[in-house]
Amino acid sequence: MKLMFKAVLSSLMLVFSGIAIAAGELNLYNWGNYTSPELIEKFEKETGIKVTITDYDSNETALAKVRAGGHGFDLAVPSHSHLPIWISEGLIANPRVDQMSNFKNVAEEWRNPDWDPGRQYSAPWQWGSVGVMVDTSVYDGDINTFGIILDPPEELIGKINVAPEMNDVISSALLYLGGEACSGDKELLKKARDKLVEAKPKWKSMDYGVIEKFAGRDLAASLYWNGAAFRARLKNPDVRYGYPKEGYSLWADAVVLLKDARNVEEAKTFMNFIMTPENAGLMSAFARYANSIVGSEKYMPEDMATAPEVVVPQEFIGAGKFYPTCSPEVQKIYAAIWTELLK
Amino acid sequence: MATSSRPFSIERMPGFSLLALTCFFALYMPLAPLVVYSFNAGDNIALWEGLSLRWYVAAWENDLVQSAAIRSVVVAVIASVVATSLATMVALGTTRTRPYRGQTSIYAMVNQPLMVPEIVTAVALLIFFALIKESTGYHGYAYLISAHTAFCIPFAYLPIRARLEGMDRVLETAAADLYATPWRSFTRVTLPLLLPGILAGAMLAFVISLDDVVITEFVKSAGQDTLPTYMLGQLRRTITPEINAISTVLLGVSVVMVTIIFFLSRKKA
Repeated sequence: MKLMFKAVLSSLMLVFSGIAIAAGELNLYNWGNYTSPELIEKFEKETGIKVTITDYDSNETALAKVRAGGHGFDLAVPSHSHLPIWISEGLIANPRVDQMSNFKNVAEEWRNPDWDPGRQYSAPWQWGSVGVMVDTSVYDGDINTFGIILDPPEELIGKINVAPEMNDVISSALLYLGGEACSGDKELLKKARDKLVEAKPKWKSMDYGVIEKFAGRDLAASLYWNGAAFRARLKNPDVRYGYPKEGYSLWADAVVLLKDARNVEEAKTFMNFIMTPENAGLMSAFARYANSIVGSEKYMPEDMATAPEVVVPQEFIGAGKFYPTCSPEVQKIYAAIWTELLK
Repeated sequence: MATSSRPFSIERMPGFSLLALTCFFALYMPLAPLVVYSFNAGDNIALWEGLSLRWYVAAWENDLVQSAAIRSVVVAVIASVVATSLATMVALGTTRTRPYRGQTSIYAMVNQPLMVPEIVTAVALLIFFALIKESTGYHGYAYLISAHTAFCIPFAYLPIRARLEGMDRVLETAAADLYATPWRSFTRVTLPLLLPGILAGAMLAFVISLDDVVITEFVKSAGQDTLPTYMLGQLRRTITPEINAISTVLLGVSVVMVTIIFFLSRKKA
């Protein structure tokens, strides 16, 4: 009994001394409205580390501030398209995420992404895809194609929206025509331009904020992101999200440790922390995007754990791909096509 | 010649009221839906679901909004007080002296933040402050406050200068004739007369600091989100009427301040 007491006491002491050692600060630099407050509360309670969150609104802003140095942040959450830049410019340290104790929870397909080979630099945050939303009460044919937007069926003409994101729109057109995103093939780029210019008169708008318009049935189709499609379906049960079979692009955001971080140990603790199913579930429950942690569905709200917009149905997984930022030459052609399209 | 003997007035030009109304409409109409939807009961910024104050309550109870709002006000108060003190000195130095060489260039330098595009200043400050941050290791509020002070100076300067130029020099001369020291004539004559201008300048500076996005976004260190940069961060994901509620409050504060400035500077002493 006495021994038992002693064991409990010493383990308690260990726990508390652990807190005392870990107690510190952590500065997280993340997209606005993207970090679950419950997740942070739980982390602070468990580790005693005080977290400060600062927002950014684009990959470019984040990159510019971190490049300039002296920012005071420990962790940032860039998108996969920009992550290779962070690595190659030496902006981030290598905390060997692949050797952290919770790395075992990371799903197989997320352990070796092209944009972070071997997954040494980045801990998974959230991810999603670019596809098509369709109101199936208006059109009930095959929705798993970008043809919905580029060769729209009669019923949808004049009720289509396209997200005003240059890369997503032009890459989708290239994929639809059988090419790859950021392809340098001039012929194909020309065809993509012709297709877009031809399709544009059949669209109604090029706007953000489609959820309310689907809810009000002002729109019947849109090129958009999966998270919004999910939220739109909760308001209008006829909305479905299509994963284009020609191929569609995926995006992912991941947590990286900045080279000039001042709270390195705290930062690593956080990276390890978000890779448990419970914590990843909390993260997704707030921002409503999927994460890469096996078993996290159990901790998500039920409507989300079963949503086909969040959990990609098996038959569509293969068509999704990550594309890096296009080369400067292709970027220039993209910009020219975009200008012509917006005219 | 028999038509009218009244003096020329722009208000009687044909179409004046129509043009004025059109301008007011174009200026204020876009704000109307923002304000209206801040009272929406639903969680949508474009679908009306009834009247409610829930988003004001939500914004009030949101810790992030609260701390960002407090931060904004503290920065704005300090920046506007410092900027106004400096602007008052500059205004005295450029109006209450004999003309001297370089006076115009001082005027141009003080008003530089009005001319230089904000993004240029922001990038310049980002790089410059980063150097200081790296070499000193200091990440506090001094950067944000000094940046805000700098771009607030011209806004405080212009009303103060206008007031000084409109003031009758005779009173100051009379004070000097009565053996008041320069300091005494300043504190007893110039300053009281100048006060409405100073207050107007301070309030204008306060509003400008409170609303700033671009420079703040680039200069802020960890944990220094102000209300506008917090709002900017929200736009990436779904916007709820909470943003409308915050905007409406900000709009209200700005309108009240500008109204006070108007009444302060209207009284011609």
